[in-house]
Amino acid sequence: MLGCIDRSPWIVHYNCNSCNGCDIELLACLTPLYDLERFGVLHVGNPKHADILVVTGSVNHRNARVLKNVYDQMPGPKMVVAMGACSATGGIFADCYNVLGGIEKVVPVDVWIPGCPPKPEAIIDGMVKAVGIWKSNPAFQAQGGAARISLTRRPPAAPVQPAAAPQPQQQPQPKEGSPDGRQSS
Amino acid sequence: MSTMNQLLIALFAVVLAPAVGALLQGIDRRINARMQSRVGPPLLQPVYDVLKLLGKEGVILNRTQVLYAWIHLAFLMLATVLLVLGQDMIMALLVVAVSTIALILGGMCVRSPYSRIGSSREIMQMLSYEPILVLLVIGIFMTNGSFMARDITLAGKPLLLTLPLIFLAFLLVTAIKLKKSPFDLATSHHGHQEIVKGITIEYAGPYLAILEVAHWYETALVFLVLAAFWATNWVVGIALAIIAFVIEILFDNLCARLTYQWMLVHMWTVGLGLSVTNLIWLYWK
Amino acid sequence: MVTWLLLLLIAGPILFGFGILLAPTREVRVGLTLVAAGVTAAAALYLSRWGPAYGGIFVPSHALPILLDWLMIAAVIAIGWTSRNTPVLIMGVVQACIGLVLEFHPRAPQAMPQPEFVFDQLSLMLVLITSVVGALVLVYAIGYMDRHEHHGPHSQASQGQFFFFLTAFLGAMNGLVLANDLRWLSAFWEATTLCSFFLIGHDRTPEANQSARRAIIINVFGGMILQTGWLISVLNGSGDSLIAFNQAQALIPVAFLVVAALTKSAQLPFQSWLLGAMLAPTPVSALLHSSTMVNAGVYLVMRMAPGFGGTRLATVIAMAGAFTFMAASALAVGQSNGKKVLAYSTIANLGLIITCAGMSTPLGYAAAFLLIVFHAITKGLLFICMGTIEQAIGSRDIEDMHGLMNKMPFTTVIAIVGMIAMLMPPFGVLLGKWIAIESAVHLPVVMLLVIIGSALTVVFWAKWLGRIVTVSYHQKYVMEDLPPVMSGSMLTLGVATLLSGFLAYPLFENFIKPLARVLYPLSSRTDASWKMLEMTESFMTWPIYALAILLVGSLLLTLMAVDENRLRKPFLCGENIADSALTYEFRSIMDRGEVAMMRSYYFSSIFGEENVSAWANPMAVALILSLFGVIAI
Repeated sequence: MLGCIDRSPWIVHYNCNSCNGCDIELLACLTPLYDLERFGVLHVGNPKHADILVVTGSVNHRNARVLKNVYDQMPGPKMVVAMGACSATGGIFADCYNVLGGIEKVVPVDVWIPGCPPKPEAIIDGMVKAVGIWKSNPAFQAQGGAARISLTRRPPAAPVQPAAAPQPQQQPQPKEGSPDGRQSS
Repeated sequence: MSTMNQLLIALFAVVLAPAVGALLQGIDRRINARMQSRVGPPLLQPVYDVLKLLGKEGVILNRTQVLYAWIHLAFLMLATVLLVLGQDMIMALLVVAVSTIALILGGMCVRSPYSRIGSSREIMQMLSYEPILVLLVIGIFMTNGSFMARDITLAGKPLLLTLPLIFLAFLLVTAIKLKKSPFDLATSHHGHQEIVKGITIEYAGPYLAILEVAHWYETALVFLVLAAFWATNWVVGIALAIIAFVIEILFDNLCARLTYQWMLVHMWTVGLGLSVTNLIWLYWK
Repeated sequence: MVTWLLLLLIAGPILFGFGILLAPTREVRVGLTLVAAGVTAAAALYLSRWGPAYGGIFVPSHALPILLDWLMIAAVIAIGWTSRNTPVLIMGVVQACIGLVLEFHPRAPQAMPQPEFVFDQLSLMLVLITSVVGALVLVYAIGYMDRHEHHGPHSQASQGQFFFFLTAFLGAMNGLVLANDLRWLSAFWEATTLCSFFLIGHDRTPEANQSARRAIIINVFGGMILQTGWLISVLNGSGDSLIAFNQAQALIPVAFLVVAALTKSAQLPFQSWLLGAMLAPTPVSALLHSSTMVNAGVYLVMRMAPGFGGTRLATVIAMAGAFTFMAASALAVGQSNGKKVLAYSTIANLGLIITCAGMSTPLGYAAAFLLIVFHAITKGLLFICMGTIEQAIGSRDIEDMHGLMNKMPFTTVIAIVGMIAMLMPPFGVLLGKWIAIESAVHLPVVMLLVIIGSALTVVFWAKWLGRIVTVSYHQKYVMEDLPPVMSGSMLTLGVATLLSGFLAYPLFENFIKPLARVLYPLSSRTDASWKMLEMTESFMTWPIYALAILLVGSLLLTLMAVDENRLRKPFLCGENIADSALTYEFRSIMDRGEVAMMRSYYFSSIFGEENVSAWANPMAVALILSLFGVIAI
């Protein structure tokens, strides 16, 4: 039965604290010009129906709890796609006082799609790769999954425990993978 | 007809109806896509969806949700069997009503506000279309003199010729039943959400698959009733049903979702008005 | 034997009632009540064995009915005088005058002497309902009244009075449905009115007194109309028994009796007394105002159905009933008080029964019969569940009933059974409604009203059901603590409701068909309505079982389904509060916890009591006037 999950990946989209640029690009993918629905992708609105959680925007204190809640409500097997630079590393807001970083601080991410915002072609590429994980990696059939694929060549930074209230004077770690909008290959 | 034959026919109907429903939904999504100048999913997409859902983890909020989902499916299957075996049409209608009530209760038995709002709207939907459906059966009775579905061709002429206005009213009811705009209030197809999927929001995995299969049965039943409007020649009937479906999809793409107050007022004036006028013609003969 | 059993059923409860009134202690009173209930129910069930011994029963005494009748009139006048109730006083005096004329007016010679009591399938069915459902409600009342504290615990005397009237009422009602002679009928009719008056006013609060006052005004008005009809028939020489009316096709007295029946059954425009009567303690509502006393009115219409069959009067009666059905269902949609919803639903179903009786076809008669039986059982059950719920949560409002399943699972499950029995096949009430729709096809306006009414009934039952089926998984169920008299009676009626669909076929075979053959002898086997009767009856076998099997199967599948690891909270956009006891609490602005609550739709601007009554009452009055219009003109 699970063999069909790659033919019908339903997505739920959560905006952490994105500027909405990535969201607009994702919605553009669902429009006739790019048409994600031909892969069977449906944009369902609630986590209980969804297989893939597409997250835009970075994590802050308030939405960390909400993101975890939404992720926990999804039934397995599930996958998380981090879209855009903000959800990968915090993007251009990484130094803000309230931003904890990319969403991997809260949920295990399987696919990163870089860009600020990523172009629809990149998004489609990411979705196809996400679906490919299910097809190709039997280990992923178990809940949660361990396989991680990044669309950039450089691996992401190791997850850091979120501090209770990060001080503004704290020197942030030098980030890998600058959010310069360069597309992957 | 012997009991064995009846049992075989019933079994055949129970297996065939969801297949027809799934195919119709697949065609629906394809035609929708083409109307929107895009490619659209493959025809068997609803089947893939249900197969995927069956493999997911079944998360729920409480056990009674599951009970109502099963009752919803079981009674739709029974209604299909009743109609195929030619039994009393009003009883079949009441059985479908029970199935809808079970869905409503399934939405209300969880403490989720979206679910409960969806259920309240579904009650309003039932209030809008129930009278028209009963008047349809009464109209069929006035034409054929019998409430049994097997006597549907007793008058010798197709129902569309004696019940044209009721057919139009039934098209409105079809829009509600198939969850199409402007009436997709309680829960919606695909991604057109307003209250985040409404009634079905708290169902996941295999339990959502139950509801999806039930919707296949419902689609097949609606198709059957539409085709029955030309029961004397089933090929023409099926063509009529397909035309009606395309009209529904067209209106789905043209209209925006409206409020339940509009739906109630509209169905009770236009829908009931058309049906009653048609019945007045039949009574006056 | 039949005669002795009937005497036991009529006089027995009254005598037991006197015993209860004079009982010195609570234990004696409770014991006498239990014995009265047991004896009445047993006698009625034993009586049903004597099915074939139907016929008329002659009573040798002529003094007894005269005494009873005048006693009732005197009581009415006394009540009117002592409670300064001028309308009742005037109507009592008018009744006395009519009574005097009836005493001394010479009677036209009758072709054959009419029996005072008639025992046939219809009477037997109503005796069974009154006695068995009545006995169960009586048993329930013992437990209810122990806990009923209204303005302080009640005294021995007032409890004794309560149970006296409740028990004696059973006897009066049995007498009513068996009576053929109008003197007996009118005596028992007034007796039930008086019982209702004292029971409604039991709590002695100003609202209770006001409701009792309104109830007695409208019911005595009905009694006066009954006597007027009797007077007219005597003056016309049509005789003074119901059978004589039917044989003579005397439409004018029949019309008067029908109006009296409409007042007793609280049809529009007389429904206000029943709504006010909901203030009474719930056993009163369960017994009098849903299963038995209001059935007296529809029983009378059914008894006279062959008499007005096929005339224009029948059409107007059917229309009046259908109009009540629709208007009362509309009124119920706008109510959030649980007992008022049940009251309006009762009025609606009684209107539907009257419609079916007014259709003058065997199929319509069958529908009316089924509805009377199943509605009495189911509504009695719902009222006693409502009583238990009301005592537990202290409120009658539906919106306060959230979380009921966790507080009182036993009562809630039985209440759910009762409500789905009003709404779904294979339970009895829906079978009756189904036949009612099918039999109404030759009266298009009536059919349209019935269809609209049916659609509206689904709305208010679904709303209420939705409120009480809410379950939360984690909380352990706390089985509520009910005395066995209450839980036993609820369980018995609940089981009877569950099995009601299976009773439909035996009822058809043993009661309805023989009765219809006697009452509609002109219809031959080739008549279209007879054919439909045969067809619907043959339908009642395998689909009923299929429905029941599907329900049970779904239940079994559910029980196998779930395990604890798969529980989630509802979707509240991710803002669920993790450690909250309420799963529907979410974090709102300023990190404050808020509870997501949702009320049902009531539409008080469309379906509210004042708005609907504003147009429904005048139209109902017009219909009643046209009852007389079609016979006079």
